[in-house]
Amino acid sequence: MTNADRPLRPEGDVSALPTVVFGSRSLMWWGTLGFMTIEGWSIALLLVAYFYLRQNFVDYPPARTPFPSLLVPTINLGIMLLSFVPAVLVARAAKRLDTAAVKLWLLPFSALGLAILVLRWWELWALNIRWDTNAYGSAAWVLVGFHASLLLLDVGDTIGLTTFFWTRPLPPKALSDAADNSFYWYFTVGIWIPLYLILYLGPRIF
Amino acid sequence: MSAEHSGEHDALIPAPQPPLPARATLPDDLLASEHEHLDALWSDGRGFWAWVTTVNHKSIAKRYIVTAFLMFIAGGLEAGAMRLQLSHPDAGVMGPDRYNQIFTTHGTTMMFLFAVPMMTAMGLYFVPLLVGARNVAFPRLNAFGYWCYLVGVVFLYVSLALNMAPDAGWFSYVPLSGPQYSPGHRIDVWAQLVTFTEIAGLIGAINIIATTFKLRAPGMSLNRIPIFVWSELVVSFMIVFALPAVALGSTFMLGMDRTVSTQFFNPAEGGDALLWQHIFWFFGHPEVYIIFLPGMGMITEIVEVFSRRRVFGYTAIVLANITTGFFAFGLWVHHMFATPIPELGQSLFTAASMVIAIPTAVQIFCWIATLWTGRPRFTTALLFILGFFFTFINGGITGVMLASVAFDKQVHDTFFVVAHLHYVLLGGAVTPLFAAFYFWFPKVTGRMLSERLGKWNFWLFIIGVNVTFFPMHLLGLDGMPRRVYTYLRETGWGPLNALVSAGAVIIVTSVIVFLVNVAISYRRGALAGDNPWGSYGLEWATASPPANYNFLYPVVVRSRHPLWETAVELPVLTGLSTERREVLVTTTVDARPDHRHDDPTASIWPLALALCMAVLWIGSIFSPYVVLWALLISTPVLIMWSRQAMRVTTTERVQRPNGEMVEMAQA
Amino acid sequence: MSNPVLLALQNVRHSATAPASPEAHAIAHLFWWMLAVGGAIWLLVAATAIRSAFARRGAPGDDGLMRVSAETHTRLQRVVIGATVVTGVILMSFIVFDFSVGRALAAFPAQSLTVDVTGHQWWWQIEYEDPNPSLSVTTANEIHVPVGEPVQFKLASHDVIHSFWVPNMNGKRDLIPGYRSSIWFRADTPGVYRGQCAEFCGLQHAHMAFLVVAQPRAEFTRWLLQQRTSGATPVDSLAVAGQQVFMSGSCALCHTIGGTPAHGTVGPDLTHLASRLELAAGTAPNTRGYLGGWILNPQSMKPRTLMPPNPLQPRQLQALLAYLETLK
Repeated sequence: MTNADRPLRPEGDVSALPTVVFGSRSLMWWGTLGFMTIEGWSIALLLVAYFYLRQNFVDYPPARTPFPSLLVPTINLGIMLLSFVPAVLVARAAKRLDTAAVKLWLLPFSALGLAILVLRWWELWALNIRWDTNAYGSAAWVLVGFHASLLLLDVGDTIGLTTFFWTRPLPPKALSDAADNSFYWYFTVGIWIPLYLILYLGPRIF
Repeated sequence: MSAEHSGEHDALIPAPQPPLPARATLPDDLLASEHEHLDALWSDGRGFWAWVTTVNHKSIAKRYIVTAFLMFIAGGLEAGAMRLQLSHPDAGVMGPDRYNQIFTTHGTTMMFLFAVPMMTAMGLYFVPLLVGARNVAFPRLNAFGYWCYLVGVVFLYVSLALNMAPDAGWFSYVPLSGPQYSPGHRIDVWAQLVTFTEIAGLIGAINIIATTFKLRAPGMSLNRIPIFVWSELVVSFMIVFALPAVALGSTFMLGMDRTVSTQFFNPAEGGDALLWQHIFWFFGHPEVYIIFLPGMGMITEIVEVFSRRRVFGYTAIVLANITTGFFAFGLWVHHMFATPIPELGQSLFTAASMVIAIPTAVQIFCWIATLWTGRPRFTTALLFILGFFFTFINGGITGVMLASVAFDKQVHDTFFVVAHLHYVLLGGAVTPLFAAFYFWFPKVTGRMLSERLGKWNFWLFIIGVNVTFFPMHLLGLDGMPRRVYTYLRETGWGPLNALVSAGAVIIVTSVIVFLVNVAISYRRGALAGDNPWGSYGLEWATASPPANYNFLYPVVVRSRHPLWETAVELPVLTGLSTERREVLVTTTVDARPDHRHDDPTASIWPLALALCMAVLWIGSIFSPYVVLWALLISTPVLIMWSRQAMRVTTTERVQRPNGEMVEMAQA
Repeated sequence: MSNPVLLALQNVRHSATAPASPEAHAIAHLFWWMLAVGGAIWLLVAATAIRSAFARRGAPGDDGLMRVSAETHTRLQRVVIGATVVTGVILMSFIVFDFSVGRALAAFPAQSLTVDVTGHQWWWQIEYEDPNPSLSVTTANEIHVPVGEPVQFKLASHDVIHSFWVPNMNGKRDLIPGYRSSIWFRADTPGVYRGQCAEFCGLQHAHMAFLVVAQPRAEFTRWLLQQRTSGATPVDSLAVAGQQVFMSGSCALCHTIGGTPAHGTVGPDLTHLASRLELAAGTAPNTRGYLGGWILNPQSMKPRTLMPPNPLQPRQLQALLAYLETLK
């Protein structure tokens, strides 16, 4: 403000305020929440499409299509649930400002993430139908595939963070970012649980 | 009426060092040196490199606004071509193939490349200024959003030049737009273009939400934020929930049906043509409210200033904005009344479509009340607002008529709807936009637009819009369907069509007058000064145009109309760094100062990533394997972006969740 | 156009505001009422808004701002709330009125007649069902209905989405692949009414019209009986030659003529071509000149239509036209 008409009267000083904070105080957390909302809503819309298409079939999956197999998806679900452990430990360590512990727990976090990604390829084929066979196959593949893109981004993010932590000096906000990365992971795994139930377990129940 | 709690000092804000005598103001030499430091610090440099790497929200928003206005002109030229072809029966100006590309490009340009980007851009420029911030929350993401949008613009227009423009309408109904009836790549261009613009829109929305929630001036609690900011906030939430629908539908369903043979819309394999309509209109209806709500916000600002009174019914208007935003998601089936959806379901959507008129009416009544008890100044901006009343309400009435299933079944997909939609979009969005241009041009450029030319602009526009679009109601009732490249003389539609086409010429003239006004005034308009209108918002407490850093110090806000309700002196907070870019982050509801955030400097990586996205979305229509290549090139770019963001720069004050404060240079 | 029926076509306004059926009348009433009320509201609000800009209430305060007394503020509140309530009430009345018209239109009365309409790019396939298959009638682009009797139309699409709309008769209904829908109306006045496809369906959406000919019962029955006959064998030598041209050329690949080897279903059924008023889904009147032009080069009248050009010698064309004229 170079407005000569308006003299400026100082009422306080903010230089004592922190410059790195955690959780919903941080801007990055809000950005993360924003992306979670967008991705989560997108999955909800895809699920609506999946159920909408169901009205065009007598059976869903359609007759003569085998049910999706449960082996690989259940194993992968188990690994995903297991991955909560390092994710939570990373977040707690970050909030404690314990860089050594963050570095440590990022390793199994990344490793499990990579395993999940690899298994995701087989999870697609575990649907026991091709994406181009019929609308059911298309809807199921796009649901699993879209979620796979979230996995890819998040696991990529985690691996990147791990690499950075182990190879270069990082600013303190990296700890806040590590906590937010775990936050995003809770969502990525969490949103998979209903998808697993609906896509893999659902056909056997309904 | 500025009743609100006065700003108590938070224990976190210690008094300035060294303590100044009570009521002292900051000396001029201190201000001058602050300005010098901050100006250099917040500058992104000069020249081409600075232009492609800037993260300044004003530079990026200006780019958006200029590009979006160019798209308005492009869409207008397409409309001109269409009107030439329809000016008389069997005109023979162009054949059906070219006409289909032109009308599709017109709709796609106006809806995806002009309207939403323009409204988002006005938010990206003005929301930080109105809430007293130095930048948006995610400056590099902001730049990335613009580049994605620009890729979309270039993609569509190169396709048009190559005779490859989409040709199945901006709504691209299946099965016409599917692989069987639209072979080739035209519709793929549409599908991917939509995705680019949706990415840009979503990024803009996230930025506006985070900026509005976290970067407000200290003391600007949520019930003190300007109504334009409320409207941008509501619209940003709407974008988050509406745009994914069309991005999913266009790329993941239609695009995949066309490229990798998914069966979403193929009835022979259980697919469903109506699924497309539901998904598209679930986006499409909120889309039009996304376009016109910011216009309503602009109207409130301008009516306040040019009535010289505080708006009547702030709370009612805010609630009306929020309610409209919600309800807008419950109307989409009114675009599908002619389809075999059960009657009872359709009637629910009739009720919703009518009821949404109520919050809009509330806003209109509040504006009238403000004007009536104010003392209006007839600037061009206010004239455009009066023009809004005249035009938009017409569109609102025909909208209520169209909400009726029985009547809609007669005029659905006819020129009656074309009339309605243009009345509400031109009246409800473009008219307030012109008003906003006249209002805010002085702030952005430092010069006033000519009021004389402005009045010509206004009258030509209002007359042009009515001459062009009123006869279309009659044409629709008389049986003329939409999206026809010609019509037979025997239908009798010729004379009215000729009138419509003549009206289009008037609109074109009006826009030319506007462009001339901008061109002249940019260089030779009267100098504006900081606050030429005597307005109340924080944006008028900056220079015109604002400095790089917007505000020398964060302003303490204690009312809804800061500049109208402070004495001569402006209360500020000192303490933000002059060594690095710092913004003050405040708490979400009450805007108490919370922490200082290190703001990003210029970066090339947003542009680089946008180019990778271009490879991904454009290349993938030619071969699915391009996706892998795109991921491959994106990875190093993402790494470089992260590296730049993760540089160790200085000692930080880190506050743990338990409140403990620690000084650390690195993690 | 010398055909008196076509002249009749010119005299009827093909408009939703010129209803010729009870259904269209009901909608038109609803429209006029909404127009009257809506128009009044528009006038009132727009006038008030403009007026408000010229109202002068007192002078601004010291700070240049207008202040409002508590009393005025309360009065404004009451006016705004009152106006909002009135708006709500008017909207409720619209909803109720619309709902009642909708219910009435949705109720299918016992129909005397069912017509199957299948949309193609860019023509209308029309079939009159009959329990006895040999009595069913297939024609194209022209629908005859008996005056005063409700007719049901069952709608389907062969390719993309189309929409069936006769403004004088009723609102429109979409023809969506994978879905069956229906619509009905009762023509109360004899006449020729124009319909047009009302959902963008590709390159020649603009030229996909059809006619509804409402006739007194006796005339309608006569027309239907005539349509049930298969084409009579031509007697005139030119017409016989013309039939040869038809059968030996590519015509039979796409078109059907009852009682002949031509069984193509890609294009419209031509068994009674000469009885129809218009050609190419309302693109041109059915006269010798236009028909000749259409056969030689359909692309010149309806660019990108699916019918290819047929370069015929003039003698062949004359013979073919003579034959086609026998298909009444």
